Amino acid sequence: MVHQLRIGSRLIEEDVVTIATVDLGYIERAREGKFDLGWLRDSHAEWGIRARPSRVGLTLRDIAVGSYGEVPDHPPKRTMAPRGCDVDPDVPDMGYSINDKAEVWSDNVMELYEEAVSRQWSATRDIEWTELPELDADLEHAMCQLATVLSEVEMVAADFPAKWLWRINHDFVEAKMFLCTQVMDEARHTEVFRKRALAGGGGLGKAKAVVEQFLKVILDAQSYDEGSALMHLLAEGLVLSLFRAGELLSPSPVEKKIFRLCMQDEARHVAYGTMHLRYRLEREPALAPDFHAYLDRGEEIIAALFATPEVVEPTAILAAGSLKAAEEMGVGVSDILRTRMIEEYLARCDRAGLPRRGRMRLPEIILAGTSGGAEACVEGVAS
Amino acid sequence: MIAVVAATGFPSAEWFASLSAHATSDPERLRTLGVADFRLAVEIVDTDGKVRTFGVIFDGYDITSAGEFSDPEVFGSEATLTGPIEAWQAMVANITEHGAADGLHTLNALSIADTPLKVVADDPMGRDKFFRYAETLQTLFDASGLVALART
Repeated sequence: MVHQLRIGSRLIEEDVVTIATVDLGYIERAREGKFDLGWLRDSHAEWGIRARPSRVGLTLRDIAVGSYGEVPDHPPKRTMAPRGCDVDPDVPDMGYSINDKAEVWSDNVMELYEEAVSRQWSATRDIEWTELPELDADLEHAMCQLATVLSEVEMVAADFPAKWLWRINHDFVEAKMFLCTQVMDEARHTEVFRKRALAGGGGLGKAKAVVEQFLKVILDAQSYDEGSALMHLLAEGLVLSLFRAGELLSPSPVEKKIFRLCMQDEARHVAYGTMHLRYRLEREPALAPDFHAYLDRGEEIIAALFATPEVVEPTAILAAGSLKAAEEMGVGVSDILRTRMIEEYLARCDRAGLPRRGRMRLPEIILAGTSGGAEACVEGVAS
Repeated sequence: MIAVVAATGFPSAEWFASLSAHATSDPERLRTLGVADFRLAVEIVDTDGKVRTFGVIFDGYDITSAGEFSDPEVFGSEATLTGPIEAWQAMVANITEHGAADGLHTLNALSIADTPLKVVADDPMGRDKFFRYAETLQTLFDASGLVALART
Protein backbone atom coordinates (compact mmCIF):
# COMPACT_ATOMS: atom_id res chain seq x y z
CA MET A 1 0.00 0.00 0.00
CA VAL A 2 1.29 3.44 -0.90
CA HIS A 3 1.14 5.73 2.09
CA GLN A 4 1.42 9.50 1.89
CA LEU A 5 3.27 11.25 4.66
CA ARG A 6 3.82 14.96 5.06
CA ILE A 7 7.07 15.99 6.76
CA GLY A 8 7.37 19.78 6.95
CA SER A 9 6.68 21.01 3.44
CA ARG A 10 7.62 17.70 1.81
CA LEU A 11 5.12 15.08 0.76
CA ILE A 12 6.67 11.63 0.95
CA GLU A 13 5.18 8.55 -0.66
CA GLU A 14 6.42 5.19 0.41
CA ASP A 15 5.38 1.57 0.78
CA VAL A 16 4.48 0.94 4.38
CA VAL A 17 2.81 -1.83 6.27
CA THR A 18 -0.57 -0.69 7.58
CA ILE A 19 -3.40 -2.55 9.23
CA ALA A 20 -5.04 -2.75 5.79
CA THR A 21 -2.23 -4.95 4.49
CA VAL A 22 -2.18 -7.27 7.48
CA ASP A 23 -3.85 -10.69 7.29
CA LEU A 24 -6.52 -10.09 9.94
CA GLY A 25 -7.89 -13.56 9.32
CA TYR A 26 -4.80 -14.92 10.98
CA ILE A 27 -6.04 -13.64 14.33
CA GLU A 28 -9.16 -15.79 14.00
CA ARG A 29 -7.20 -18.86 12.84
CA ALA A 30 -4.72 -18.47 15.71
CA ARG A 31 -7.60 -18.29 18.19
CA GLU A 32 -8.71 -21.66 16.87
CA GLY A 33 -5.22 -23.08 17.30
CA LYS A 34 -4.52 -23.12 13.56
CA PHE A 35 -1.00 -21.84 13.77
CA ASP A 36 0.97 -20.81 10.73
CA LEU A 37 4.38 -22.10 11.91
CA GLY A 38 6.01 -20.86 8.74
CA TRP A 39 8.71 -19.27 10.92
CA LEU A 40 9.54 -22.75 12.19
CA ARG A 41 8.99 -24.79 9.06
CA ASP A 42 11.00 -22.68 6.68
CA SER A 43 13.88 -21.91 9.01
CA HIS A 44 17.48 -22.19 7.95
CA ALA A 45 18.69 -21.77 11.53
CA GLU A 46 21.61 -23.95 12.51
CA TRP A 47 19.78 -26.21 14.93
CA GLY A 48 22.27 -27.83 17.29
CA ILE A 49 25.01 -25.21 16.95
CA ARG A 50 25.49 -24.42 20.61
CA ALA A 51 27.65 -21.58 21.87
CA ARG A 52 29.64 -22.48 24.98
CA PRO A 53 30.66 -19.90 27.57
CA SER A 54 34.35 -19.40 28.27
CA ARG A 55 35.91 -18.59 31.65
CA VAL A 56 34.54 -15.07 31.95
CA GLY A 57 31.06 -15.85 30.63
CA LEU A 58 29.45 -16.10 27.21
CA THR A 59 31.45 -13.71 25.05
CA LEU A 60 30.93 -12.43 21.51
CA ARG A 61 33.83 -14.64 20.46
CA ASP A 62 32.07 -17.63 22.05
CA ILE A 63 28.92 -17.06 20.01
CA ALA A 64 30.81 -16.56 16.76
CA VAL A 65 30.01 -20.16 15.86
CA GLY A 66 28.87 -21.77 12.63
CA SER A 67 27.48 -19.39 10.05
CA TYR A 68 26.66 -16.90 12.83
CA GLY A 69 30.34 -16.14 13.16
CA GLU A 70 30.79 -15.41 9.47
CA VAL A 71 30.85 -11.66 8.91
CA PRO A 72 30.34 -11.01 5.19
CA ASP A 73 32.75 -8.65 3.45
CA HIS A 74 29.83 -7.24 1.47
CA PRO A 75 26.42 -7.96 3.05
CA PRO A 76 23.72 -8.74 0.50
CA LYS A 77 21.09 -6.63 2.28
CA ARG A 78 20.86 -3.40 4.19
CA THR A 79 18.62 -4.43 7.04
CA MET A 80 18.56 -4.46 10.82
CA ALA A 81 17.89 -8.20 10.83
CA PRO A 82 20.29 -10.04 13.14
CA ARG A 83 23.10 -11.56 11.07
CA GLY A 84 22.42 -15.24 10.44
CA CYS A 85 18.65 -15.16 10.82
CA ASP A 86 16.05 -15.82 8.11
CA VAL A 87 15.07 -12.54 6.54
CA ASP A 88 11.87 -11.67 4.70
CA PRO A 89 12.64 -10.96 1.06
CA ASP A 90 10.73 -7.69 1.14
CA VAL A 91 12.39 -6.06 4.15
CA PRO A 92 12.86 -2.33 3.69
CA ASP A 93 16.25 -0.95 2.76
CA MET A 94 17.70 0.90 5.76
CA GLY A 95 19.92 3.03 3.59
CA TYR A 96 23.22 2.13 5.19
CA SER A 97 26.16 3.74 3.43
CA ILE A 98 28.93 1.71 5.06
CA ASN A 99 28.49 -1.72 3.54
CA ASP A 100 32.06 -2.99 3.23
CA LYS A 101 33.36 -4.84 6.25
CA ALA A 102 36.82 -3.32 5.90
CA GLU A 103 35.39 0.16 6.40
CA VAL A 104 34.72 -0.47 10.11
CA TRP A 105 36.11 -3.84 11.12
CA SER A 106 39.13 -4.74 13.19
CA ASP A 107 40.28 -8.19 14.26
CA ASN A 108 40.19 -7.22 17.94
CA VAL A 109 36.75 -5.62 17.96
CA MET A 110 34.91 -8.45 19.73
CA GLU A 111 37.46 -8.62 22.54
CA LEU A 112 37.48 -4.83 22.87
CA TYR A 113 33.70 -4.78 23.20
CA GLU A 114 33.77 -7.37 25.98
CA GLU A 115 36.58 -5.51 27.69
CA ALA A 116 34.71 -2.23 27.45
CA VAL A 117 31.55 -3.65 28.98
CA SER A 118 33.50 -5.38 31.70
CA ARG A 119 35.65 -2.37 32.61
CA GLN A 120 32.95 0.30 32.84
CA TRP A 121 33.15 2.61 35.84
CA SER A 122 31.11 5.42 37.30
CA ALA A 123 32.28 9.02 37.64
CA THR A 124 29.74 9.42 40.43
CA ARG A 125 30.44 6.30 42.46
CA ASP A 126 34.03 5.25 41.79
CA ILE A 127 35.82 8.56 42.37
CA GLU A 128 36.36 9.53 46.00
CA TRP A 129 35.11 13.10 45.56
CA THR A 130 34.89 13.72 49.31
CA GLU A 131 38.64 13.15 49.56
CA LEU A 132 39.50 15.88 47.06
CA PRO A 133 41.96 18.13 48.91
CA GLU A 134 41.89 21.91 48.96
CA LEU A 135 44.60 22.95 46.54
CA ASP A 136 46.79 25.99 46.23
CA ALA A 137 45.06 28.45 43.88
CA ASP A 138 47.68 28.02 41.12
CA LEU A 139 47.22 24.28 41.09
CA GLU A 140 43.43 24.49 41.24
CA HIS A 141 43.42 26.90 38.29
CA ALA A 142 45.73 24.62 36.32
CA MET A 143 43.73 21.49 37.10
CA CYS A 144 40.48 23.24 36.20
CA GLN A 145 41.87 24.47 32.87
CA LEU A 146 43.14 21.00 32.01
CA ALA A 147 39.75 19.55 33.02
CA THR A 148 38.02 22.14 30.83
CA VAL A 149 40.04 21.18 27.75
CA LEU A 150 39.51 17.48 28.37
CA SER A 151 35.79 17.86 29.02
CA GLU A 152 35.62 19.76 25.73
CA VAL A 153 37.58 17.37 23.53
CA GLU A 154 36.27 14.08 24.88
CA MET A 155 32.71 14.55 23.69
CA VAL A 156 33.72 14.66 20.02
CA ALA A 157 34.82 11.07 20.42
CA ALA A 158 31.20 10.31 21.28
CA ASP A 159 29.70 12.58 18.63
CA PHE A 160 31.79 11.16 15.80
CA PRO A 161 30.89 7.47 16.21
CA ALA A 162 27.29 8.44 16.98
CA LYS A 163 27.16 10.38 13.70
CA TRP A 164 28.26 7.31 11.74
CA LEU A 165 26.68 4.47 13.70
CA TRP A 166 23.32 4.50 11.95
CA ARG A 167 25.05 4.39 8.55
CA ILE A 168 26.90 1.15 9.32
CA ASN A 169 25.44 -2.07 7.98
CA HIS A 170 23.93 -4.14 10.75
CA ASP A 171 25.89 -7.23 9.68
CA PHE A 172 28.88 -5.51 11.30
CA VAL A 173 27.00 -5.41 14.57
CA GLU A 174 30.04 -6.17 16.73
CA ALA A 175 31.79 -3.06 15.43
CA LYS A 176 28.63 -1.02 16.01
CA MET A 177 28.38 -2.35 19.55
CA PHE A 178 31.99 -1.43 20.24
CA LEU A 179 31.39 2.10 18.98
CA CYS A 180 28.38 2.29 21.34
CA THR A 181 30.73 1.54 24.24
CA GLN A 182 33.00 4.31 23.05
CA VAL A 183 30.08 6.75 23.09
CA MET A 184 29.41 5.80 26.72
CA ASP A 185 33.11 5.99 27.63
CA GLU A 186 33.46 9.48 26.22
CA ALA A 187 30.28 10.67 27.88
CA ARG A 188 31.80 9.54 31.17
CA HIS A 189 35.08 11.33 30.42
CA THR A 190 33.21 14.55 29.65
CA GLU A 191 31.29 14.04 32.88
CA VAL A 192 34.27 13.28 35.12
CA PHE A 193 36.34 16.26 33.98
CA ARG A 194 33.37 18.60 34.23
CA LYS A 195 32.78 17.31 37.73
CA ARG A 196 36.45 17.78 38.62
CA ALA A 197 36.40 21.39 37.45
CA LEU A 198 33.40 22.11 39.63
CA ALA A 199 34.22 19.93 42.64
CA GLY A 200 37.28 21.92 43.73
CA GLY A 201 35.66 25.33 43.54
CA GLY A 202 37.77 26.56 40.62
CA GLY A 203 35.13 26.12 37.95
CA LEU A 204 35.52 25.85 34.22
CA GLY A 205 38.35 27.59 32.37
CA LYS A 206 38.74 28.73 28.79
CA ALA A 207 37.82 26.99 25.52
CA LYS A 208 40.05 27.95 22.59
CA ALA A 209 39.21 28.24 18.92
CA VAL A 210 42.17 26.10 17.88
CA VAL A 211 40.82 23.19 19.90
CA GLU A 212 37.35 23.63 18.44
CA GLN A 213 38.84 23.74 14.94
CA PHE A 214 40.31 20.30 15.37
CA LEU A 215 37.08 18.93 16.79
CA LYS A 216 35.24 20.33 13.78
CA VAL A 217 37.63 18.60 11.38
CA ILE A 218 36.80 15.28 13.03
CA LEU A 219 33.08 15.91 13.16
CA ASP A 220 32.95 17.17 9.56
CA ALA A 221 34.99 14.27 8.16
CA GLN A 222 33.64 13.28 4.77
CA SER A 223 34.07 9.57 5.42
CA TYR A 224 34.41 7.19 8.33
CA ASP A 225 37.92 6.46 7.05
CA GLU A 226 38.93 10.08 7.45
CA GLY A 227 37.25 10.63 10.79
CA SER A 228 38.47 7.39 12.32
CA ALA A 229 42.08 8.05 11.33
CA LEU A 230 41.89 11.56 12.76
CA MET A 231 40.08 10.57 15.92
CA HIS A 232 40.95 6.99 16.88
CA LEU A 233 44.56 7.06 15.77
CA LEU A 234 45.73 10.67 15.99
CA ALA A 235 43.60 12.53 18.53
CA GLU A 236 42.88 9.73 20.97
CA GLY A 237 46.48 8.56 20.82
CA LEU A 238 47.59 12.01 21.88
CA VAL A 239 44.93 12.25 24.56
CA LEU A 240 46.04 8.85 25.85
CA SER A 241 49.53 10.28 26.32
CA LEU A 242 47.98 13.32 28.00
CA PHE A 243 46.07 11.06 30.41
CA ARG A 244 49.33 9.31 31.27
CA ALA A 245 50.91 12.68 32.02
CA GLY A 246 47.84 13.69 34.00
CA GLU A 247 48.19 10.65 36.22
CA LEU A 248 51.77 11.65 36.99
CA LEU A 249 51.15 15.35 37.44
CA SER A 250 47.90 15.22 39.40
CA PRO A 251 48.15 16.80 42.83
CA SER A 252 46.03 14.20 44.64
CA PRO A 253 45.08 10.51 44.49
CA VAL A 254 41.58 11.55 43.43
CA GLU A 255 42.73 13.00 40.11
CA LYS A 256 45.26 10.23 39.65
CA LYS A 257 42.49 7.67 39.71
CA ILE A 258 40.44 9.73 37.26
CA PHE A 259 43.29 9.81 34.79
CA ARG A 260 44.11 6.13 35.25
CA LEU A 261 40.54 5.05 34.60
CA CYS A 262 40.24 7.35 31.59
CA MET A 263 43.57 6.06 30.31
CA GLN A 264 42.19 2.53 30.21
CA ASP A 265 39.17 3.55 28.15
CA GLU A 266 41.19 5.68 25.77
CA ALA A 267 43.71 2.90 25.13
CA ARG A 268 40.84 0.64 24.02
CA HIS A 269 39.69 3.19 21.48
CA VAL A 270 43.23 3.61 20.18
CA ALA A 271 43.61 -0.18 19.97
CA TYR A 272 40.48 -0.31 17.81
CA GLY A 273 41.61 2.58 15.62
CA THR A 274 45.07 1.18 15.04
CA MET A 275 43.92 -2.33 14.19
CA HIS A 276 40.98 -1.06 12.16
CA LEU A 277 43.28 0.98 9.95
CA ARG A 278 45.53 -2.04 9.57
CA TYR A 279 42.56 -4.19 8.55
CA ARG A 280 41.46 -1.52 6.08
CA LEU A 281 44.86 -1.06 4.46
CA GLU A 282 45.58 -4.77 4.22
CA ARG A 283 42.52 -5.08 2.01
CA GLU A 284 42.81 -1.78 0.18
CA PRO A 285 46.46 -0.69 0.17
CA ALA A 286 45.69 1.84 -2.56
CA LEU A 287 43.96 3.94 0.10
CA ALA A 288 47.25 4.70 1.88
CA PRO A 289 47.78 8.08 0.16
CA ASP A 290 44.30 9.16 1.22
CA PHE A 291 45.02 8.28 4.84
CA HIS A 292 48.35 10.09 4.68
CA ALA A 293 46.52 13.17 3.42
CA TYR A 294 43.98 12.98 6.28
CA LEU A 295 46.75 12.76 8.84
CA ASP A 296 48.85 15.49 7.18
CA ARG A 297 45.96 17.84 7.77
CA GLY A 298 45.12 16.60 11.23
CA GLU A 299 48.72 16.77 12.44
CA GLU A 300 48.97 20.41 11.41
CA ILE A 301 46.03 21.35 13.58
CA ILE A 302 47.13 19.12 16.44
CA ALA A 303 50.55 20.76 16.29
CA ALA A 304 48.89 24.08 17.01
CA LEU A 305 47.75 22.65 20.34
CA PHE A 306 51.40 22.32 21.34
CA ALA A 307 51.64 26.11 21.05
CA THR A 308 48.39 26.82 22.88
CA PRO A 309 48.91 28.24 26.38
CA GLU A 310 45.61 26.85 27.68
CA VAL A 311 46.89 23.36 26.91
CA VAL A 312 50.63 23.67 27.61
CA GLU A 313 50.73 25.84 30.74
CA PRO A 314 48.41 23.87 33.06
CA THR A 315 50.59 20.78 32.69
CA ALA A 316 53.73 22.86 33.31
CA ILE A 317 52.25 24.35 36.49
CA LEU A 318 51.02 21.00 37.75
CA ALA A 319 54.44 19.50 37.08
CA ALA A 320 56.30 22.30 38.84
CA GLY A 321 53.89 22.56 41.77
CA SER A 322 53.19 26.28 41.39
CA LEU A 323 53.10 29.05 38.81
CA LYS A 324 56.30 30.61 40.17
CA ALA A 325 58.18 27.32 40.00
CA ALA A 326 56.84 26.69 36.50
CA GLU A 327 58.05 30.11 35.36
CA GLU A 328 61.50 29.26 36.64
CA MET A 329 61.53 25.76 35.15
CA GLY A 330 59.90 26.50 31.80
CA VAL A 331 57.96 23.86 29.93
CA GLY A 332 60.49 21.04 29.99
CA VAL A 333 57.80 18.58 31.03
CA SER A 334 55.69 19.62 28.06
CA ASP A 335 58.65 18.99 25.76
CA ILE A 336 59.06 15.49 27.14
CA LEU A 337 55.34 14.91 26.86
CA ARG A 338 55.23 16.13 23.25
CA THR A 339 58.13 13.91 22.23
CA ARG A 340 56.48 10.93 23.89
CA MET A 341 53.11 11.66 22.25
CA ILE A 342 54.64 11.85 18.78
CA GLU A 343 56.75 8.72 19.15
CA GLU A 344 53.84 6.65 20.48
CA TYR A 345 51.68 7.93 17.62
CA LEU A 346 54.35 7.04 15.06
CA ALA A 347 54.67 3.53 16.51
CA ARG A 348 50.92 3.03 16.13
CA CYS A 349 51.04 4.29 12.55
CA ASP A 350 53.75 1.72 11.86
CA ARG A 351 51.56 -1.01 13.38
CA ALA A 352 48.60 0.12 11.32
CA GLY A 353 50.69 -0.26 8.16
CA LEU A 354 50.87 3.47 7.50
CA PRO A 355 54.44 4.48 8.38
CA ARG A 356 54.68 8.22 8.99
CA ARG A 357 58.24 8.46 10.23
CA GLY A 358 60.06 11.04 8.21
CA ARG A 359 56.96 12.44 6.57
CA MET A 360 55.42 14.66 9.24
CA ARG A 361 55.46 18.23 7.97
CA LEU A 362 55.55 20.12 11.23
CA PRO A 363 57.95 22.83 12.38
CA GLU A 364 61.29 21.62 13.69
CA ILE A 365 60.59 23.09 17.12
CA ILE A 366 57.73 20.62 17.45
CA LEU A 367 59.41 17.59 15.87
CA ALA A 368 62.77 18.04 17.59
CA GLY A 369 63.89 14.82 19.23
CA THR A 370 61.36 12.69 17.36
CA SER A 371 61.55 10.55 14.25
CA GLY A 372 58.62 12.36 12.68
CA GLY A 373 60.36 14.75 10.32
CA ALA A 374 62.36 13.95 7.21
CA GLU A 375 65.48 15.50 8.68
CA ALA A 376 65.24 13.36 11.79
CA CYS A 377 64.92 10.25 9.66
CA VAL A 378 68.07 11.09 7.76
CA GLU A 379 69.90 11.70 11.01
CA GLY A 380 68.60 8.42 12.37
CA VAL A 381 66.71 9.59 15.42
CA ALA A 382 65.74 6.48 17.33
CA SER A 383 62.11 5.55 17.62
CA MET B 1 62.60 0.18 54.27
CA ILE B 2 64.44 -1.34 51.31
CA ALA B 3 66.07 -3.76 53.73
CA VAL B 4 62.57 -4.78 54.79
CA VAL B 5 61.72 -5.36 51.15
CA ALA B 6 64.81 -7.51 50.68
CA ALA B 7 63.76 -9.53 53.71
CA THR B 8 60.49 -10.40 51.97
CA GLY B 9 62.38 -12.25 49.27
CA PHE B 10 62.01 -9.65 46.53
CA PRO B 11 62.71 -10.41 43.77
CA SER B 12 61.96 -14.10 43.48
CA ALA B 13 59.43 -16.42 41.88
CA GLU B 14 57.99 -16.99 45.34
CA TRP B 15 57.54 -13.27 45.86
CA PHE B 16 55.61 -12.89 42.60
CA ALA B 17 53.51 -15.96 43.40
CA SER B 18 52.68 -14.42 46.76
CA LEU B 19 51.91 -11.08 45.09
CA SER B 20 49.45 -12.73 42.69
CA ALA B 21 47.85 -14.68 45.53
CA HIS B 22 47.31 -11.55 47.60
CA ALA B 23 46.02 -9.54 44.64
CA THR B 24 43.47 -12.23 43.79
CA SER B 25 42.38 -12.86 47.36
CA ASP B 26 39.43 -10.54 46.79
CA PRO B 27 37.84 -11.87 43.56
CA GLU B 28 35.03 -9.32 43.73
CA ARG B 29 37.59 -6.51 43.51
CA LEU B 30 39.03 -7.99 40.31
CA ARG B 31 35.57 -8.52 38.84
CA THR B 32 34.84 -4.86 39.48
CA LEU B 33 38.02 -3.87 37.65
CA GLY B 34 36.98 -6.02 34.71
CA VAL B 35 38.54 -8.58 32.42
CA ALA B 36 42.14 -8.37 31.31
CA ASP B 37 44.10 -10.42 28.79
CA PHE B 38 47.78 -9.72 29.07
CA ARG B 39 51.15 -11.43 29.48
CA LEU B 40 53.51 -9.04 31.24
CA ALA B 41 57.21 -9.65 31.77
CA VAL B 42 58.82 -7.91 34.75
CA GLU B 43 62.53 -7.41 34.18
CA ILE B 44 64.76 -6.51 37.11
CA VAL B 45 68.32 -5.44 36.40
CA ASP B 46 70.64 -6.06 39.34
CA THR B 47 73.50 -3.77 40.32
CA ASP B 48 75.96 -6.12 38.59
CA GLY B 49 73.96 -5.95 35.38
CA LYS B 50 72.46 -9.40 35.77
CA VAL B 51 68.88 -9.52 34.53
CA ARG B 52 66.12 -11.53 36.16
CA THR B 53 62.73 -11.81 34.44
CA PHE B 54 59.41 -12.85 35.93
CA GLY B 55 56.12 -13.43 34.17
CA VAL B 56 52.62 -12.41 35.19
CA ILE B 57 49.53 -13.59 33.33
CA PHE B 58 46.27 -11.66 33.42
CA ASP B 59 43.50 -13.94 32.20
CA GLY B 60 39.92 -12.76 32.54
CA TYR B 61 39.45 -11.97 36.22
CA ASP B 62 42.48 -13.97 37.28
CA ILE B 63 46.12 -13.09 37.82
CA THR B 64 48.77 -15.79 38.04
CA SER B 65 52.51 -15.75 38.40
CA ALA B 66 54.35 -17.55 35.62
CA GLY B 67 57.54 -17.74 37.67
CA GLU B 68 61.03 -16.77 36.60
CA PHE B 69 62.23 -17.50 33.10
CA SER B 70 65.28 -16.89 31.01
CA ASP B 71 63.71 -16.67 27.56
CA PRO B 72 60.99 -14.00 27.14
CA GLU B 73 59.96 -15.54 23.82
CA VAL B 74 59.01 -18.79 25.48
CA PHE B 75 56.79 -16.89 27.91
CA GLY B 76 55.29 -14.93 25.02
CA SER B 77 55.24 -11.60 26.83
CA GLU B 78 53.30 -8.83 25.13
CA ALA B 79 55.16 -6.11 27.01
CA THR B 80 58.09 -5.93 29.39
CA LEU B 81 58.37 -3.54 32.32
CA THR B 82 62.08 -3.18 32.92
CA GLY B 83 64.30 -1.21 35.29
CA PRO B 84 67.11 -1.32 37.85
CA ILE B 85 66.56 -3.19 41.08
CA GLU B 86 66.91 0.02 43.10
CA ALA B 87 63.83 1.46 41.39
CA TRP B 88 61.83 -1.71 41.95
CA GLN B 89 62.86 -1.89 45.58
CA ALA B 90 61.99 1.76 46.11
CA MET B 91 58.55 1.16 44.59
CA VAL B 92 57.85 -1.88 46.76
CA ALA B 93 59.13 -0.03 49.83
CA ASN B 94 56.88 2.93 49.07
CA ILE B 95 53.84 0.67 48.69
CA THR B 96 54.72 -1.17 51.89
CA GLU B 97 54.98 2.10 53.74
CA HIS B 98 51.78 3.68 52.42
CA GLY B 99 49.60 0.66 51.73
CA ALA B 100 49.46 1.65 48.06
CA ALA B 101 51.79 3.51 45.71
CA ASP B 102 51.95 7.23 46.31
CA GLY B 103 51.79 9.62 43.37
CA LEU B 104 55.43 9.30 42.40
CA HIS B 105 55.53 5.51 42.62
CA THR B 106 52.63 4.31 40.49
CA LEU B 107 53.63 2.13 37.55
CA ASN B 108 52.64 4.90 35.16
CA ALA B 109 54.57 7.58 37.05
CA LEU B 110 57.70 5.44 37.15
CA SER B 111 57.59 4.57 33.46
CA ILE B 112 56.19 7.64 31.69
CA ALA B 113 59.61 9.15 31.01
CA ASP B 114 61.18 5.72 30.34
CA THR B 115 63.12 6.12 33.55
CA PRO B 116 63.58 4.60 36.05
CA LEU B 117 61.20 1.98 34.62
CA LYS B 118 60.44 1.48 30.96
CA VAL B 119 57.69 -0.31 29.06
CA VAL B 120 59.17 -2.22 26.14
CA ALA B 121 57.18 -4.06 23.47
CA ASP B 122 57.79 -5.16 19.91
CA ASP B 123 54.14 -4.47 19.17
CA PRO B 124 52.63 -1.12 20.21
CA MET B 125 49.38 -3.00 20.85
CA GLY B 126 51.20 -4.90 23.59
CA ARG B 127 52.57 -1.65 24.96
CA ASP B 128 49.10 -0.11 24.94
CA LYS B 129 47.78 -3.02 27.03
CA PHE B 130 49.92 -1.61 29.81
CA PHE B 131 47.57 1.39 29.71
CA ARG B 132 44.37 -0.55 28.96
CA TYR B 133 44.79 -2.47 32.20
CA ALA B 134 46.45 0.28 34.23
CA GLU B 135 44.15 -0.03 37.22
CA THR B 136 44.43 -3.82 37.34
CA LEU B 137 48.22 -3.65 37.10
CA GLN B 138 48.38 -1.08 39.88
CA THR B 139 46.08 -3.21 42.03
CA LEU B 140 48.46 -6.13 41.54
CA PHE B 141 51.56 -4.22 42.56
CA ASP B 142 49.77 -2.43 45.41
CA ALA B 143 49.50 -5.89 46.95
CA SER B 144 53.27 -5.68 47.52
CA GLY B 145 52.58 -4.31 50.97
CA LEU B 146 50.55 -7.40 51.84
CA VAL B 147 53.45 -9.62 50.75
CA ALA B 148 55.75 -7.66 53.05
CA LEU B 149 53.31 -7.92 55.96
CA ALA B 150 53.00 -11.66 55.47
CA ARG B 151 56.74 -12.26 55.26
CA THR B 152 58.17 -10.02 57.97
